Amino acid sequence: MLLQLNNISKWIQSGGQKVFLLKDIDLWVHEGDFISIMGPSGSGKTTLLNVIGMLDDFNQGEYTFLDQSVHTLKEKHRSNLYKQYIGFVFQSYHLIDELTVKENLEMPLLYKKHGGSERKALVADMLDRFNIVGKKDLFPSQLSGGQQQLVGIARALIANPKLILADEPTGNLNSKQGEEIMEIFKELNNEGVTIIQVTHSEKNTSYGSRIINLLDGEVV
Amino acid sequence: MIRNYFKIIWRSIIREKQFTFLNILGLTIGITSCFIIGLYVFDETTYDTFHEKGERIYRINQSHIWGDWNDQYAATGPNVAVALKSDAPEFEKVTRILSVGAQTMRRKNDAKEANIFKEEKSFLAEENFLDVFSFEFVNGNVQTALKEPMSMVITEKTAVRYFGNEDPIGKQLEVRETDGSWNTFTVTAVLANVPNNSHLQFDILISLNTIKERLQNDNWLWAWTGFSTYGVVKEGTNIEALTNKIQLIPPKWASLTTERLFNQPYDEFTDGKEWKLYLQPLKEIYLSDSPGSHLFGPTGKPQFVKLFTAIGILILFLCSINFMNLSTARSSKRAKEVGIRKVLGSERRSLIKQFVLESTIFVAAGTLLGLLLAQLSLSGFNVIADKQLSFMQLLVNPIFIGVVILFILLLGIIAGSYPAFYLSAFRPIETLKGKVTSVFKGKNLRNGLVVFQFTISIALIICAFFVQKQLAYTSSMDLGLVKNNVLQIHNIEQLGNKAETLKAKLEANASFTHIGRSYGIPPNVWSGDKYRAFGPENPALHFTDVRTEGDFLDVLGVEFIAGRNFDPERIPDKYGVVLNEEAVKVLGWGEKENYAQDSPIGKYVAMTTESADKMEVLGVVKDFNFSSTKEKIGPLIILHQDNDWVWNYGRGRTFLAARIDPNIINNSGDLQELIEEVQEEMSQMDPSVLFEYSFMDQEFEETFRSEQRMATVLNIFTLLALIIACLGLFGLAAFSAEQRTKELGIRKVLGAKFSELAMLFSSEFTKLVLISVLLASPIAYLLVDEWLTDFAYRTPIDIWVFGVASLLAVVVTIITVSFQTIKVSRTNPIDSLRTE
Repeated sequence: MLLQLNNISKWIQSGGQKVFLLKDIDLWVHEGDFISIMGPSGSGKTTLLNVIGMLDDFNQGEYTFLDQSVHTLKEKHRSNLYKQYIGFVFQSYHLIDELTVKENLEMPLLYKKHGGSERKALVADMLDRFNIVGKKDLFPSQLSGGQQQLVGIARALIANPKLILADEPTGNLNSKQGEEIMEIFKELNNEGVTIIQVTHSEKNTSYGSRIINLLDGEVV
Repeated sequence: MIRNYFKIIWRSIIREKQFTFLNILGLTIGITSCFIIGLYVFDETTYDTFHEKGERIYRINQSHIWGDWNDQYAATGPNVAVALKSDAPEFEKVTRILSVGAQTMRRKNDAKEANIFKEEKSFLAEENFLDVFSFEFVNGNVQTALKEPMSMVITEKTAVRYFGNEDPIGKQLEVRETDGSWNTFTVTAVLANVPNNSHLQFDILISLNTIKERLQNDNWLWAWTGFSTYGVVKEGTNIEALTNKIQLIPPKWASLTTERLFNQPYDEFTDGKEWKLYLQPLKEIYLSDSPGSHLFGPTGKPQFVKLFTAIGILILFLCSINFMNLSTARSSKRAKEVGIRKVLGSERRSLIKQFVLESTIFVAAGTLLGLLLAQLSLSGFNVIADKQLSFMQLLVNPIFIGVVILFILLLGIIAGSYPAFYLSAFRPIETLKGKVTSVFKGKNLRNGLVVFQFTISIALIICAFFVQKQLAYTSSMDLGLVKNNVLQIHNIEQLGNKAETLKAKLEANASFTHIGRSYGIPPNVWSGDKYRAFGPENPALHFTDVRTEGDFLDVLGVEFIAGRNFDPERIPDKYGVVLNEEAVKVLGWGEKENYAQDSPIGKYVAMTTESADKMEVLGVVKDFNFSSTKEKIGPLIILHQDNDWVWNYGRGRTFLAARIDPNIINNSGDLQELIEEVQEEMSQMDPSVLFEYSFMDQEFEETFRSEQRMATVLNIFTLLALIIACLGLFGLAAFSAEQRTKELGIRKVLGAKFSELAMLFSSEFTKLVLISVLLASPIAYLLVDEWLTDFAYRTPIDIWVFGVASLLAVVVTIITVSFQTIKVSRTNPIDSLRTE
């Protein structure tokens, strides 16, 4: 068991009323799962993903990640936890514009205080693996969307996470680029990386093993 | 990690050139101004700090016995020192220095005209003068330097002037006496050039023992106020007690002088007023401003120092505010980066580190550039402010370096920490969603800062306006005389009886309409004495007096409202006087409306109560300005040049004033030729007399030189403050434009026109500036009102100036903001709305 959500609810107060963003979510994720979260706009997909990623908190319920109860952890421990085990991939890539491909890849390693030579080796490894060695000195603005997302995935993977959270990773890409990205996810999953993706696309769900449908913050 | 920060910082500098440029420029301008002002203030406030005994040296000032007795007067008679030595053992040493006016000098027997110099800074100093003050000896020693009569101590540059590279010790210099003879002095010591930051500025010191005999004459020992007296008190002296004690001295000692010179017992002379002695600490002398008759060097203007300290601090504030404003405004752009970094595992601490590091680097860059620019512009400032400031001494001063580093760190941390703490506090998800920009707080703070900036700038603008207005007013006001086209030829006293010949020659020259001789020329008529309306019951009062001849009054073009001018044909006119209206009033003879019933003409003015020296009033002239237009016209008695009843103080510098006919001499070439002609005439008569000249209108301007200087400096700093404020505004507008793109995009979609958007956008800033106008106006009013009290003739504080300044501020605002206004209003709404 990688992680487990029990009865997770999240709400905001609006005009004296609770508006639920997530309601009584129960979710088990095993290592090696490839889960797709689907649902219409506003159904809480991204919120759920952020809760799982520990970027967002929740109002009620229990969250256990690798046998640690996340909801009782302090901010600092929580961030250490996700730093170590979780990689993020975003719809709009979120690369740092001022840094080159190589430097973007290096960034998570810097925060984990890896040594210089180790960083170099890991970055080279990733560049190689994703076939972007030739692009290592380019800035994000000099890459196509697909290439940027490739860097985004490489960056998410570089610290060797157990779980990858992807928020509509193909949302800004054309269908061909999207397929390529999904193939990469598939491969990663085959190598044992757990993946949770949020998607609108039926087609993308076919790469995964499980589908969770959300509507108005509830699993349907 | 640090390398990564530097990389990001460097690349964002390159990427956002406009922001970088604005931010560093503002900082650089501000810091340049601050350094220069700081240097100026430092220099002004550290005068006379190099004397070893400085802490114990006091100048003895006395009541202004020639004017308002409540004022302090920096000059005393010679016997104040004698009295202190005898009656106040608290003084370790007492020394005197005497001003004798400019002297013409040459190396002994060197008759070459080019080797004759006029020494303006030549004084007589007592034997122990160099023991009291620590001026550096190059050659010679304290014991012998000023001991013997006819000894002379000169500075290095003076030595070079007369002796080149020769050793000057034991060599001789000659001083020209009024009668044309030369007096020989022996150089006994050479001093290093007097430091700039000394209130005593001299090139030559002559031993006071040279005039020993004159110092023994009791008649005027308390009235010969050409001396400055300094004392070194013993360690641990209670100054207050000492001050109280020495108050007994004038009544005890000065009566001899009052009785012999004014024929009045001490009590009658003082007439109930107190003849006080004051002890002024040496280090306060330069910036004290108030005691009059400061004869031996420059005095600082404490108001200027205060004003510029204030401006310096304000500019530092302005540029710091600016920097923070721009930094925070921009940091919202950085929100995404912060979000990514957090998601990738950055801790809050390291983010804060990054932002602080970044802003510190900016501040450091701005500071270094500022220092460089200050160094480059210092020579220009020195010219404008008439100073000799130098950075070099500061750059090696560890305190200065410490202050600079502290400043960099402080501003860096303050400016960097706001965005750092603010942005890093957000949850990454919010920053990534772009929520931060829309909820980015601190808008009121930033607006407040802009209002603050503009309040300062507008207040400065208004003040600068009024300073200009006042200067224009004083230079164009009716002086009661025609100051233009008057050539003044100096050193006429040295021509002796050939002066008349020169005058005759000039009169023959058609380029001149009037020629007249005078012992003082407006605006430099200073001397004065006590006169009374003749009669035993009338009080003796202080009047300014000037010796001249009738022709001179014609040169000036003053208007007679009663009586007549001196007439060279009438011998008794020698003992007649011409008064100005004010003098008639002060003498108690009424206003000019009453002249018809009770004419002052034919009445008598006298110095004593005896009838032997009563002087008939020949005429009354309309009041005219004979000193600076800063002061109200005082009572003036115009004496005939040959009047030998009235004591002629000093060496009697004499001038020939010549009114040039503007119809004949109407270009500078002709003028130059005319001057050379006069020089030729004079040199033919006596080549040993220096030819010096000036123009009356320029001399009047000269009296406002320090104000002119202040005005120029004020204008420059006002402009700089305005530029800094505009940079801040520009940055803020750019920031606001970014924030409001969506709102403005929606408005455009809904049908707003370009002009409406532009109006909407710029009104946000115009509003701020209008608030600033409201705040700045009363502040400026108070400042201007205060400043104007220095002047006898004041320009009115007109409302329109405030209006113009406000209008100017608003126009500048609109222009500054317009770049953003145009950009924002022209954006295609699709672009701005798509980002969501």
